[in-house]
Amino acid sequence: MTAAAPAGPALEALLCSMADDEFVIGSSDSEWTGIAPVLEEDVAMSSLAQDEIGHAAALYGLLAGLTGRDADALAYDRPPDDYRHARLLDHGRGDWAMTIARRYLYETADAVRLDALVGGSWSPLADLVGKLRREERYHRMHVEAWLERLAGAGGESRDRLETALRSLAPDAATVFTPLPDEPELVRAGVLEAPMPALEGRWRETVEPVLRALDLPAPAPGAAPPDGREGHGEAFRWLWGEFTSVRAADPGATW
Amino acid sequence: MTPTLEPWEVFRQEREGEPMRHGGSVMAPDAELAAHYAREMFGRRQESVRLWVVRRSDVIDIDDADLLQPPLDRSFKKPGGYVMRDKLAAAREASGQPKPKARSG
Repeated sequence: MTAAAPAGPALEALLCSMADDEFVIGSSDSEWTGIAPVLEEDVAMSSLAQDEIGHAAALYGLLAGLTGRDADALAYDRPPDDYRHARLLDHGRGDWAMTIARRYLYETADAVRLDALVGGSWSPLADLVGKLRREERYHRMHVEAWLERLAGAGGESRDRLETALRSLAPDAATVFTPLPDEPELVRAGVLEAPMPALEGRWRETVEPVLRALDLPAPAPGAAPPDGREGHGEAFRWLWGEFTSVRAADPGATW
Repeated sequence: MTPTLEPWEVFRQEREGEPMRHGGSVMAPDAELAAHYAREMFGRRQESVRLWVVRRSDVIDIDDADLLQPPLDRSFKKPGGYVMRDKLAAAREASGQPKPKARSG
Protein backbone atom coordinates (compact mmCIF):
# COMPACT_ATOMS: atom_id res chain seq x y z
CA MET A 1 0.00 0.00 0.00
CA THR A 2 1.65 3.25 -1.02
CA ALA A 3 -1.08 5.76 -0.15
CA ALA A 4 -1.38 6.40 3.57
CA ALA A 5 -4.69 5.12 4.86
CA PRO A 6 -6.83 7.76 6.54
CA ALA A 7 -9.14 7.06 9.47
CA GLY A 8 -7.70 3.62 10.37
CA PRO A 9 -10.38 1.76 12.35
CA ALA A 10 -13.21 3.47 10.47
CA LEU A 11 -11.72 2.47 7.13
CA GLU A 12 -11.21 -1.08 8.36
CA ALA A 13 -14.87 -1.26 9.42
CA LEU A 14 -15.96 -0.02 5.99
CA LEU A 15 -13.80 -2.55 4.13
CA CYS A 16 -14.95 -5.36 6.41
CA SER A 17 -18.63 -4.52 5.86
CA MET A 18 -18.22 -4.40 2.08
CA ALA A 19 -16.10 -7.55 1.87
CA ASP A 20 -18.49 -9.48 4.11
CA ASP A 21 -21.49 -8.31 2.03
CA GLU A 22 -19.91 -9.56 -1.17
CA PHE A 23 -18.62 -12.76 0.42
CA VAL A 24 -21.96 -13.70 1.95
CA ILE A 25 -24.14 -12.95 -1.09
CA GLY A 26 -21.63 -14.75 -3.32
CA SER A 27 -21.63 -17.80 -1.07
CA SER A 28 -25.40 -17.77 -0.83
CA ASP A 29 -25.98 -17.41 -4.58
CA SER A 30 -23.43 -20.12 -5.34
CA GLU A 31 -25.90 -22.58 -3.84
CA TRP A 32 -27.75 -22.44 -7.16
CA THR A 33 -24.90 -24.20 -8.94
CA GLY A 34 -26.40 -27.35 -10.41
CA ILE A 35 -30.03 -26.60 -9.54
CA ALA A 36 -30.91 -23.25 -11.23
CA PRO A 37 -34.08 -23.13 -13.38
CA VAL A 38 -32.31 -23.67 -16.73
CA LEU A 39 -28.76 -24.59 -17.69
CA GLU A 40 -27.91 -21.11 -18.98
CA GLU A 41 -29.16 -19.50 -15.78
CA ASP A 42 -27.20 -22.03 -13.77
CA VAL A 43 -24.01 -20.89 -15.49
CA ALA A 44 -25.01 -17.23 -15.17
CA MET A 45 -25.83 -17.37 -11.45
CA SER A 46 -22.71 -19.39 -10.69
CA SER A 47 -20.63 -16.85 -12.59
CA LEU A 48 -22.28 -13.94 -10.77
CA ALA A 49 -21.61 -15.67 -7.45
CA GLN A 50 -17.96 -16.13 -8.44
CA ASP A 51 -17.75 -12.43 -9.32
CA GLU A 52 -19.00 -11.50 -5.85
CA ILE A 53 -16.46 -13.81 -4.20
CA GLY A 54 -13.80 -12.22 -6.39
CA HIS A 55 -14.87 -8.77 -5.22
CA ALA A 56 -14.75 -10.00 -1.63
CA ALA A 57 -11.22 -11.35 -2.19
CA ALA A 58 -10.06 -7.95 -3.48
CA LEU A 59 -11.66 -6.12 -0.54
CA TYR A 60 -10.31 -8.60 2.03
CA GLY A 61 -6.94 -8.06 0.35
CA LEU A 62 -7.11 -4.31 1.06
CA LEU A 63 -8.20 -5.00 4.63
CA ALA A 64 -5.37 -7.51 5.04
CA GLY A 65 -2.90 -4.85 3.88
CA LEU A 66 -4.14 -2.49 6.60
CA THR A 67 -4.38 -4.98 9.44
CA GLY A 68 -1.48 -7.31 8.68
CA ARG A 69 -3.88 -10.27 8.72
CA ASP A 70 -4.19 -12.84 5.96
CA ALA A 71 -7.10 -12.36 3.53
CA ASP A 72 -8.14 -16.03 3.76
CA ALA A 73 -8.08 -15.83 7.54
CA LEU A 74 -10.34 -12.79 7.37
CA ALA A 75 -12.75 -14.61 5.08
CA TYR A 76 -12.85 -17.98 6.83
CA ASP A 77 -11.45 -17.92 10.34
CA ARG A 78 -13.86 -15.62 12.17
CA PRO A 79 -16.77 -16.89 14.27
CA PRO A 80 -20.17 -16.16 12.67
CA ASP A 81 -20.96 -13.29 15.06
CA ASP A 82 -17.88 -11.37 13.88
CA TYR A 83 -19.12 -11.02 10.29
CA ARG A 84 -20.41 -7.55 9.47
CA HIS A 85 -22.56 -8.13 6.38
CA ALA A 86 -25.97 -6.54 6.15
CA ARG A 87 -28.86 -8.49 7.65
CA LEU A 88 -30.56 -8.36 4.24
CA LEU A 89 -28.09 -11.06 3.22
CA ASP A 90 -28.96 -13.30 6.17
CA HIS A 91 -32.11 -14.38 4.39
CA GLY A 92 -31.02 -17.71 2.96
CA ARG A 93 -31.04 -18.72 -0.68
CA GLY A 94 -34.78 -19.49 -0.65
CA ASP A 95 -36.55 -20.00 -3.96
CA TRP A 96 -35.57 -18.31 -7.21
CA ALA A 97 -37.83 -15.32 -6.51
CA MET A 98 -36.16 -14.83 -3.10
CA THR A 99 -32.72 -14.89 -4.68
CA ILE A 100 -33.78 -12.36 -7.32
CA ALA A 101 -35.48 -10.09 -4.76
CA ARG A 102 -32.45 -10.20 -2.46
CA ARG A 103 -30.04 -9.59 -5.32
CA TYR A 104 -32.13 -6.69 -6.61
CA LEU A 105 -32.23 -4.93 -3.22
CA TYR A 106 -28.53 -5.60 -2.60
CA GLU A 107 -27.18 -4.74 -6.06
CA THR A 108 -29.03 -1.44 -6.19
CA ALA A 109 -27.79 -0.55 -2.69
CA ASP A 110 -24.24 -1.61 -3.51
CA ALA A 111 -24.31 0.57 -6.63
CA VAL A 112 -25.20 3.65 -4.56
CA ARG A 113 -22.45 2.79 -2.09
CA LEU A 114 -19.85 2.31 -4.85
CA ASP A 115 -20.86 5.63 -6.45
CA ALA A 116 -20.08 7.31 -3.11
CA LEU A 117 -16.64 5.67 -2.93
CA VAL A 118 -15.28 5.90 -6.47
CA GLY A 119 -14.06 9.47 -6.08
CA GLY A 120 -12.69 8.82 -2.59
CA SER A 121 -9.41 10.12 -1.19
CA TRP A 122 -7.80 6.73 -0.48
CA SER A 123 -6.70 5.64 -3.92
CA PRO A 124 -6.37 1.86 -3.30
CA LEU A 125 -10.09 1.70 -2.54
CA ALA A 126 -11.18 4.29 -5.11
CA ASP A 127 -9.25 2.42 -7.84
CA LEU A 128 -10.73 -0.93 -6.85
CA VAL A 129 -14.24 0.53 -6.72
CA GLY A 130 -13.78 1.85 -10.27
CA LYS A 131 -13.25 -1.74 -11.41
CA LEU A 132 -16.01 -3.20 -9.25
CA ARG A 133 -18.52 -0.75 -10.71
CA ARG A 134 -17.81 -1.98 -14.23
CA GLU A 135 -18.57 -5.58 -13.25
CA GLU A 136 -21.58 -4.67 -11.15
CA ARG A 137 -23.19 -3.01 -14.18
CA TYR A 138 -23.86 -6.41 -15.71
CA HIS A 139 -25.05 -7.76 -12.37
CA ARG A 140 -27.71 -5.08 -12.24
CA MET A 141 -28.78 -5.69 -15.84
CA HIS A 142 -29.19 -9.37 -15.05
CA VAL A 143 -31.21 -8.94 -11.87
CA GLU A 144 -33.41 -6.19 -13.28
CA ALA A 145 -34.26 -8.41 -16.26
CA TRP A 146 -35.38 -11.12 -13.86
CA LEU A 147 -37.28 -8.78 -11.55
CA GLU A 148 -39.32 -7.52 -14.51
CA ARG A 149 -39.98 -11.02 -15.80
CA LEU A 150 -41.11 -12.47 -12.47
CA ALA A 151 -43.29 -9.41 -11.83
CA GLY A 152 -44.79 -9.48 -15.32
CA ALA A 153 -45.35 -13.21 -15.49
CA GLY A 154 -48.26 -13.12 -13.01
CA GLY A 155 -49.45 -16.25 -11.23
CA GLU A 156 -47.08 -18.21 -9.05
CA SER A 157 -43.97 -16.34 -10.24
CA ARG A 158 -45.38 -12.99 -9.18
CA ASP A 159 -46.81 -14.38 -5.92
CA ARG A 160 -43.42 -15.77 -4.95
CA LEU A 161 -41.68 -12.48 -5.80
CA GLU A 162 -44.16 -10.48 -3.72
CA THR A 163 -43.74 -12.89 -0.80
CA ALA A 164 -39.95 -12.59 -1.03
CA LEU A 165 -39.97 -8.79 -1.18
CA ARG A 166 -42.37 -8.62 1.76
CA SER A 167 -40.18 -10.86 3.89
CA LEU A 168 -37.05 -8.86 2.96
CA ALA A 169 -38.70 -5.44 3.44
CA PRO A 170 -37.77 -4.96 7.14
CA ASP A 171 -34.07 -5.66 6.40
CA ALA A 172 -33.93 -4.13 2.92
CA ALA A 173 -32.09 -0.96 3.96
CA THR A 174 -29.53 -2.63 6.23
CA VAL A 175 -26.73 -2.19 3.67
CA PHE A 176 -26.87 1.44 4.85
CA THR A 177 -26.45 0.65 8.55
CA PRO A 178 -24.26 3.48 9.89
CA LEU A 179 -20.68 2.29 10.40
CA PRO A 180 -18.62 2.84 13.53
CA ASP A 181 -16.82 6.18 13.29
CA GLU A 182 -18.45 6.84 9.94
CA PRO A 183 -18.14 10.66 10.22
CA GLU A 184 -14.36 10.20 10.13
CA LEU A 185 -14.63 8.51 6.73
CA VAL A 186 -16.66 11.40 5.38
CA ARG A 187 -14.27 13.97 6.89
CA ALA A 188 -11.28 12.14 5.39
CA GLY A 189 -12.98 12.15 1.98
CA VAL A 190 -13.04 8.34 1.69
CA LEU A 191 -16.84 8.25 1.63
CA GLU A 192 -18.72 11.02 -0.11
CA ALA A 193 -21.75 11.11 2.20
CA PRO A 194 -22.96 9.40 5.38
CA MET A 195 -24.99 6.19 5.14
CA PRO A 196 -28.40 7.81 5.85
CA ALA A 197 -27.86 10.11 2.86
CA LEU A 198 -26.89 7.14 0.68
CA GLU A 199 -29.97 5.31 1.88
CA GLY A 200 -32.08 8.23 0.67
CA ARG A 201 -30.47 8.04 -2.77
CA TRP A 202 -31.11 4.29 -2.90
CA ARG A 203 -34.79 4.71 -2.00
CA GLU A 204 -35.13 7.28 -4.81
CA THR A 205 -33.74 4.63 -7.19
CA VAL A 206 -35.67 1.54 -6.16
CA GLU A 207 -39.01 2.88 -4.99
CA PRO A 208 -40.16 4.15 -8.41
CA VAL A 209 -39.12 0.86 -10.04
CA LEU A 210 -40.99 -1.25 -7.51
CA ARG A 211 -44.01 1.08 -7.63
CA ALA A 212 -44.16 0.85 -11.42
CA LEU A 213 -44.22 -2.95 -11.12
CA ASP A 214 -46.74 -2.69 -8.26
CA LEU A 215 -44.37 -4.59 -5.95
CA PRO A 216 -43.85 -4.23 -2.16
CA ALA A 217 -41.35 -1.47 -1.28
CA PRO A 218 -38.66 -1.59 1.43
CA ALA A 219 -40.06 -0.80 4.88
CA PRO A 220 -39.90 2.92 5.66
CA GLY A 221 -37.54 4.27 8.29
CA ALA A 222 -33.78 4.37 8.51
CA ALA A 223 -31.64 1.24 8.71
CA PRO A 224 -31.47 0.01 12.33
CA PRO A 225 -28.16 0.62 14.15
CA ASP A 226 -27.65 -3.13 14.58
CA GLY A 227 -28.36 -3.91 10.91
CA ARG A 228 -25.00 -5.65 10.50
CA GLU A 229 -25.22 -7.75 13.65
CA GLY A 230 -27.30 -10.52 15.13
CA HIS A 231 -26.97 -12.90 12.19
CA GLY A 232 -29.48 -15.72 12.56
CA GLU A 233 -29.67 -19.43 11.97
CA ALA A 234 -29.64 -19.23 8.17
CA PHE A 235 -26.27 -17.49 8.26
CA ARG A 236 -24.88 -19.92 10.83
CA TRP A 237 -25.73 -22.74 8.45
CA LEU A 238 -24.15 -20.94 5.48
CA TRP A 239 -21.05 -20.15 7.58
CA GLY A 240 -20.75 -23.85 8.42
CA GLU A 241 -20.88 -24.62 4.70
CA PHE A 242 -18.36 -22.06 3.48
CA THR A 243 -15.87 -22.77 6.26
CA SER A 244 -16.19 -26.57 6.06
CA VAL A 245 -13.41 -27.24 3.56
CA ARG A 246 -10.90 -25.01 5.31
CA ALA A 247 -11.94 -26.46 8.68
CA ALA A 248 -11.35 -29.98 7.35
CA ASP A 249 -7.59 -29.43 7.44
CA PRO A 250 -6.70 -26.31 9.46
CA GLY A 251 -3.46 -24.67 8.44
CA ALA A 252 -3.20 -26.60 5.16
CA THR A 253 -1.70 -24.85 2.15
CA TRP A 254 -4.20 -24.87 -0.73
CA MET B 1 -48.18 -16.67 -20.39
CA THR B 2 -45.29 -19.10 -20.22
CA PRO B 3 -42.28 -17.90 -22.16
CA THR B 4 -40.84 -20.55 -24.42
CA LEU B 5 -37.14 -21.17 -24.58
CA GLU B 6 -35.73 -21.09 -28.09
CA PRO B 7 -32.22 -21.40 -29.49
CA TRP B 8 -30.02 -18.37 -30.23
CA GLU B 9 -26.79 -18.64 -32.16
CA VAL B 10 -23.74 -16.86 -30.75
CA PHE B 11 -20.80 -15.60 -32.78
CA ARG B 12 -17.71 -14.28 -31.08
CA GLN B 13 -14.69 -12.19 -31.97
CA GLU B 14 -11.54 -12.98 -30.04
CA ARG B 15 -9.62 -9.83 -30.89
CA GLU B 16 -10.30 -6.61 -32.79
CA GLY B 17 -9.95 -7.21 -36.53
CA GLU B 18 -10.50 -10.96 -36.37
CA PRO B 19 -13.51 -12.57 -38.03
CA MET B 20 -16.66 -13.37 -36.11
CA ARG B 21 -16.67 -17.11 -35.52
CA HIS B 22 -19.54 -19.30 -34.45
CA GLY B 23 -19.19 -20.04 -30.75
CA GLY B 24 -22.27 -22.14 -30.08
CA SER B 25 -25.83 -21.60 -29.01
CA VAL B 26 -27.84 -20.73 -25.91
CA MET B 27 -31.48 -21.33 -25.01
CA ALA B 28 -33.35 -18.20 -23.92
CA PRO B 29 -36.92 -16.86 -23.86
CA ASP B 30 -36.07 -13.46 -25.39
CA ALA B 31 -33.31 -11.30 -26.83
CA GLU B 32 -32.32 -9.65 -23.55
CA LEU B 33 -31.73 -12.90 -21.67
CA ALA B 34 -30.14 -14.41 -24.77
CA ALA B 35 -27.59 -11.58 -24.68
CA HIS B 36 -26.96 -12.17 -20.96
CA TYR B 37 -26.50 -15.90 -21.43
CA ALA B 38 -24.29 -15.40 -24.48
CA ARG B 39 -22.11 -13.14 -22.35
CA GLU B 40 -21.91 -15.77 -19.62
CA MET B 41 -21.24 -18.68 -21.98
CA PHE B 42 -18.87 -17.01 -24.42
CA GLY B 43 -17.53 -13.91 -22.70
CA ARG B 44 -17.19 -14.30 -18.96
CA ARG B 45 -13.50 -15.22 -19.10
CA GLN B 46 -12.52 -12.20 -21.21
CA GLU B 47 -12.24 -14.49 -24.23
CA SER B 48 -14.30 -12.23 -26.51
CA VAL B 49 -14.27 -8.56 -27.47
CA ARG B 50 -17.59 -8.70 -29.37
CA LEU B 51 -20.55 -11.03 -29.57
CA TRP B 52 -23.31 -11.37 -32.16
CA VAL B 53 -26.45 -13.04 -30.91
CA VAL B 54 -28.98 -14.17 -33.52
CA ARG B 55 -32.33 -15.88 -33.06
CA ARG B 56 -31.87 -19.21 -34.84
CA SER B 57 -35.22 -18.88 -36.60
CA ASP B 58 -33.97 -15.60 -38.14
CA VAL B 59 -31.07 -17.36 -39.83
CA ILE B 60 -31.64 -18.15 -43.50
CA ASP B 61 -31.09 -21.86 -43.65
CA ILE B 62 -30.12 -23.35 -47.00
CA ASP B 63 -29.50 -27.04 -47.24
CA ASP B 64 -31.13 -27.74 -50.61
CA ALA B 65 -28.99 -30.39 -52.34
CA ASP B 66 -30.04 -29.12 -55.78
CA LEU B 67 -28.41 -25.80 -54.90
CA LEU B 68 -25.43 -26.99 -52.92
CA GLN B 69 -24.62 -30.50 -54.10
CA PRO B 70 -25.78 -30.67 -57.74
CA PRO B 71 -25.27 -34.08 -59.30
CA LEU B 72 -23.24 -33.28 -62.42
CA ASP B 73 -19.47 -32.93 -62.56
CA ARG B 74 -18.39 -29.52 -61.18
CA SER B 75 -14.65 -30.01 -61.38
CA PHE B 76 -14.43 -27.34 -64.09
CA LYS B 77 -15.56 -24.79 -61.46
CA LYS B 78 -12.69 -25.63 -59.13
CA PRO B 79 -9.37 -23.83 -59.39
CA GLY B 80 -7.28 -27.02 -59.26
CA GLY B 81 -4.29 -26.93 -61.57
CA TYR B 82 -4.19 -23.14 -61.60
CA VAL B 83 -1.49 -22.08 -59.12
CA MET B 84 -1.82 -18.46 -58.07
CA ARG B 85 0.86 -18.30 -55.44
CA ASP B 86 3.89 -17.64 -57.66
CA LYS B 87 2.03 -15.12 -59.83
CA LEU B 88 0.86 -13.23 -56.73
CA ALA B 89 4.35 -13.19 -55.26
CA ALA B 90 5.76 -11.87 -58.53
CA ALA B 91 3.10 -9.17 -58.76
CA ARG B 92 3.72 -8.15 -55.17
CA GLU B 93 7.43 -7.87 -55.76
CA ALA B 94 6.88 -5.83 -58.91
CA SER B 95 4.59 -3.37 -57.10
CA GLY B 96 6.60 -3.33 -53.87
CA GLN B 97 3.56 -4.21 -51.71
CA PRO B 98 3.99 -6.34 -48.61
CA LYS B 99 2.01 -9.52 -48.11
CA PRO B 100 -1.35 -8.48 -46.61
CA LYS B 101 -2.46 -9.73 -43.20
CA ALA B 102 -5.51 -11.94 -42.81
CA ARG B 103 -8.62 -10.08 -43.87
CA SER B 104 -10.81 -8.81 -41.04
CA GLY B 105 -14.38 -9.97 -41.10
